[in-house]
Parts: sequence; C-alpha cells; structure tokens
Amino acid sequence: MPDWRELVRQRLSGLALDAEEKDEVQAELAAHLEESYEVFCKGGLPEKEAVHRTFEQVADWRDLQRRILIAKRSGHPMQKRVHQLWIPGFLTMALSIVFLVTLQKLGFNVRMVSWRDSDIFFYAPWLVSLPFLGALGAYISSRAGGSRGTALLASIFPALALTLTFLLMFPIDMIIEPIIGRRVDFNIVAAVLLKDGIGWILVPGAALLVGGLLVHLLFGRRLLPQDTAIG
Amino acid sequence: MIGSGIKRGTAELAILSVLEEGPLHGYEMARRIEEQTKGALRFTLAALYPMLYRMEQRGWIRGSWETSDNGRKRRCYRLTPSGKKKLLPLRKEWEELFGALKRLTKVAHA
Repeated sequence: MPDWRELVRQRLSGLALDAEEKDEVQAELAAHLEESYEVFCKGGLPEKEAVHRTFEQVADWRDLQRRILIAKRSGHPMQKRVHQLWIPGFLTMALSIVFLVTLQKLGFNVRMVSWRDSDIFFYAPWLVSLPFLGALGAYISSRAGGSRGTALLASIFPALALTLTFLLMFPIDMIIEPIIGRRVDFNIVAAVLLKDGIGWILVPGAALLVGGLLVHLLFGRRLLPQDTAIG
Repeated sequence: MIGSGIKRGTAELAILSVLEEGPLHGYEMARRIEEQTKGALRFTLAALYPMLYRMEQRGWIRGSWETSDNGRKRRCYRLTPSGKKKLLPLRKEWEELFGALKRLTKVAHA
C-alpha cells in the first residue's frame, strides 16, 4: 500500500500554513485517500488501478493547495481571537478575582511563608481554586477552536494580566515618587516585586497552568484541533 | 450552467444536512451525500475539504480527531449551534427556490 501521508506531504509541500495546521491537513487528506483506496481494492480493483482511481479525486494539487489556503484564511482572525483567547481569559480572570474577594470577605487568612529574611504571602484557599479556573479557561478556549497554546494562554491569563500590572508599576513608581518628592529605594522596590511576584504571579500562574494542562491531557484529543496523532 | 454561488449553496446545505444526523469524517460524509442523493451530488476530495475548512472557519462545523473502533484516527466534523442556526434558513431558501423552479417548469410545460 502506498504511503499516503508521504504522497500528500510531497504534493502539498507548499501549503503556507503553520507547521501544526499543515501537518493536520496532510494527515486528514491522507486518511481520506487511504480509505478511498481501500474501498477500491475491496471492490476488486487491482492495486495499480486503485491508486490511479484514488488520485483521480485531485486533478490539480496546486489548485487544491491554493483553495485550502484561501478556505483556512477565510475566518475572521479578530473574532477568532476574541472567542479563543479574550473571552475565556477575561472570564478566568474575573472569576479568580471574584473568588479571591469572596474568600477575603469570608475571613480566610493569608498564609505567610518566610524565605531568606522576607515573608511571602500565599492565599491557600484561593490557590486551591485556581487549577479549576485555569481548566475552565482552557476548556472554553478549546471549545472555541483555540490551539493548545491559546488554550494554555487563556488558562494562565490572570497571572499574565497581573505580571503586566507589576511590570507597569515599576516604571510608573520611578516617575511618580520623585515628582511627589520621595526618594525611591530600588532595592526595596525590587524585593517587594520579587516577593509579590512569587506569591501573586508565579505560584498562582503555576496553579492555573496545572488546570490548563489537565484539560489538555484529559480532553485534548477530543477538543483541540491541532492534535496530529495520526499514525 | 449552474453558477458557483448556487453550487456552493447546494454543497453547504448537503454538508450541514448530513451532519445534522451526527458527526462524520470527510470520507464518510462524501459517501453519505452520494448515497442519499443517489449519485446526483458527488464530492471529490478536492471539492470537499476546502468547503469543510471554510465552513469550519465560519463556525458552522467543528472538527476534532477521534479514534474509530478499528483504531483509526479520523477528523470528525459535527454541527455547531451556529451551524444548526444556519441550516434552517438555508433549507427554507432552497425549498423556496426549488418550489419556484417547479412552478415555473410546470407552467412552461402546460
């Protein structure tokens, strides 16, 4: 039997899609050809004739390549981005904030861990909830057709937003403090950023990512369009 | 000669209709359409996949890899809520068009 995957790969080598998407298209088309070929063979055609009849389905591979490319690019990228990243990302962030505020109102205390003469704050009940929220973000993104990367990005979105806020705080602080006449001790600012970065970004980000990865492992094959597990 | 717009409309309606019955992979979809239309509509690979990808981009169908009973991995397509919504007016449009053509040809033959 011909290696359909390789034959399609050769004929669609110029398909200008990203590697994952291209691989997926080639795998799908190869599977179709393989099935056609097998049906022809079962119908009693000799192998050579079956191969010929199978290939007859595509008169012009270059034209097919062009039409696949047009079709794949026909979506609205902005709309896709909104459904695959921004909506699940912001939803994950909103829920994580609501949950944090609720826990604080309910009186759950922050856990303090000492590390190298400094105290790092961990909000344990909130951290426990984050894998679930990360999983939710990844699931919604995947359902909207988001790639593996986009789904994971949506799952850690709250941590990314907080990172951006932290990064903005540093230069803003450097501008504002001299204006209001206060001397900035950069060592203190850097220490605070590092401490809060661990407690509020790194650890929560890891917790969110755990949820995103779990969704990928449990549902990835069924949900994610980029799965190229065809053998 | 049938215009490309009509051809595309027919193909979209055919795909959405077979997917309404349940998820299918490309080859099976083409086979069902051919069988159910008694060979009047036939999709080759070259015609089917650009159409499927376009419909997927529009959010009418969604593809995902699935493993069949014989261990083969196939990309199966299913209707999305948006596709279901699209199917109803599309079906109505075609019913109206065919109704009109039927009336017209009857008058012409009278």
